Amino acid sequence: MKNIYEVRTANKIKSAVIVFLFTVFVFVATYVLVNALAYNLGYEAGGFGYVGIALIASGISSFVSYYFSDQIILGIAGARPADRRRDFDFYTVAENIAIGQGIPKPKLYVIDDPSPNAFATGRDPAHAAVCATTGLLEKLNRTELEGVIAHEMSHVKNFDTRLMSVVAVMVGLVALLSDWFTRSLYWGRSRDDNENNSSSIFLILGLVFAILSPIVGTLIQLVISRRREYVADAGSVEITRQPQGLISALEKISQDPSPLKNANKATAHLYISNPYKKVKTGGSWLVNLFNTHPPISDRIKALKAMV
Amino acid sequence: MNLIYILLAIAVILIFWIISIYNFFVSTKTRIGASIQEIGNQLKRQSELIPNLEASAKGYLKHEKGIFDELTSARRAISSAVESGDVKKMADAGKMLSEVLPKIQVVVESNPEIKASEVVTNLMEELRDTSDKVMYARRLLIDLTADYNVKIVTFPSNIVAGIFHFEKQKGLETPESGDELKVTEEETKTPKVNL
Repeated sequence: MKNIYEVRTANKIKSAVIVFLFTVFVFVATYVLVNALAYNLGYEAGGFGYVGIALIASGISSFVSYYFSDQIILGIAGARPADRRRDFDFYTVAENIAIGQGIPKPKLYVIDDPSPNAFATGRDPAHAAVCATTGLLEKLNRTELEGVIAHEMSHVKNFDTRLMSVVAVMVGLVALLSDWFTRSLYWGRSRDDNENNSSSIFLILGLVFAILSPIVGTLIQLVISRRREYVADAGSVEITRQPQGLISALEKISQDPSPLKNANKATAHLYISNPYKKVKTGGSWLVNLFNTHPPISDRIKALKAMV
Repeated sequence: MNLIYILLAIAVILIFWIISIYNFFVSTKTRIGASIQEIGNQLKRQSELIPNLEASAKGYLKHEKGIFDELTSARRAISSAVESGDVKKMADAGKMLSEVLPKIQVVVESNPEIKASEVVTNLMEELRDTSDKVMYARRLLIDLTADYNVKIVTFPSNIVAGIFHFEKQKGLETPESGDELKVTEEETKTPKVNL
């Protein structure tokens, strides 16, 4: 039995460690790749350099999804703003949790989809949006719904959209640099004339990093994503003080066979459960490694420890 | 010369830190005040729903005069508590109302005629939701006060609190003694549920 404050502190430390490791990884990978690229092409790029160009390229796409994420939802087929009379429980529960957290009520949307799921997005609490499927609203009772909405609103309160956007930009940066380096091997000029040992080390290291770092980057990104799920689960309990609500909601969601019709890959990590794959039991560690969400059984175990 | 720069840098950092702690205290204090108002708002909303419930359910609840008397007195208590702005009174008045609600619920559930009335069920839902809102507003007050009071006693923010004379916030006062704190043997038993 752990109280929520202990869980919160543990989660904070784990998150910080992972984000720190990720930053170190990005620095090392960028350093090696840039040096290898410069060596292979025979000159250092001026001004911003390769990092600047890659950062801008990877940043633009993520920035768009980050800045307009609350508006992008409206583009999802069948999303409609929630109505107080029609979606009484959804609307009022979100209203109540916003009161309890002292944040403005997020914009609420309903997607017409029988698969029970929900997600949150928006760059800060003032621009947040919470979206639920009709399946979720039909299948859960008020207490369970409270757990799910509280989970989504913890994502909002913890600025998870912002964190995951930054992480996505970094992973994109490393991937782009790797890609450029691999391409440069084809058209890079021959270095036979003035070979020296310290530079050729970068060439070899660059090759290793070019192959491995996009995968490693994505894996760390997924570790962060899974960690944030545990944080949001604990946050939900902190808000509602009723782990049982979220536990039975997760059980209901995991038992539902229908996959989400209009899943959006950019927001997959913000759903209450993975909209693509349904991982009910632990599964093999290899499968879990590539999942945005921890297995529901593990999440329920963590929640039961808080009861 | 270098030493002066270092000291200067430390002083600047220190001043910024003091400002941030000071701002935390001031803004949290304001938010605590706002959260007390929020409790009042929600209670008021709840008491305004009661006349509607009475009007639409009176026909069905002729024989339950006691419930209506309780409702009316709870409503009076709420409006006077909200006017006084006293958190303790608000909490008491809210409790009076939350004690009547299950009684109405029982009557509504046991009476298919009322249960079929959409107006009454909607009003019951609204009342239940407002109770939740009052609960969450109180939760916010409790959380904010806890954050504030923890910062007042922990090092090093307690130094800043001392300099500017920030004092502990009362928040929601809970009685130090009384029925709420006593657990009877009956209550420790697991409730039996017949399905």
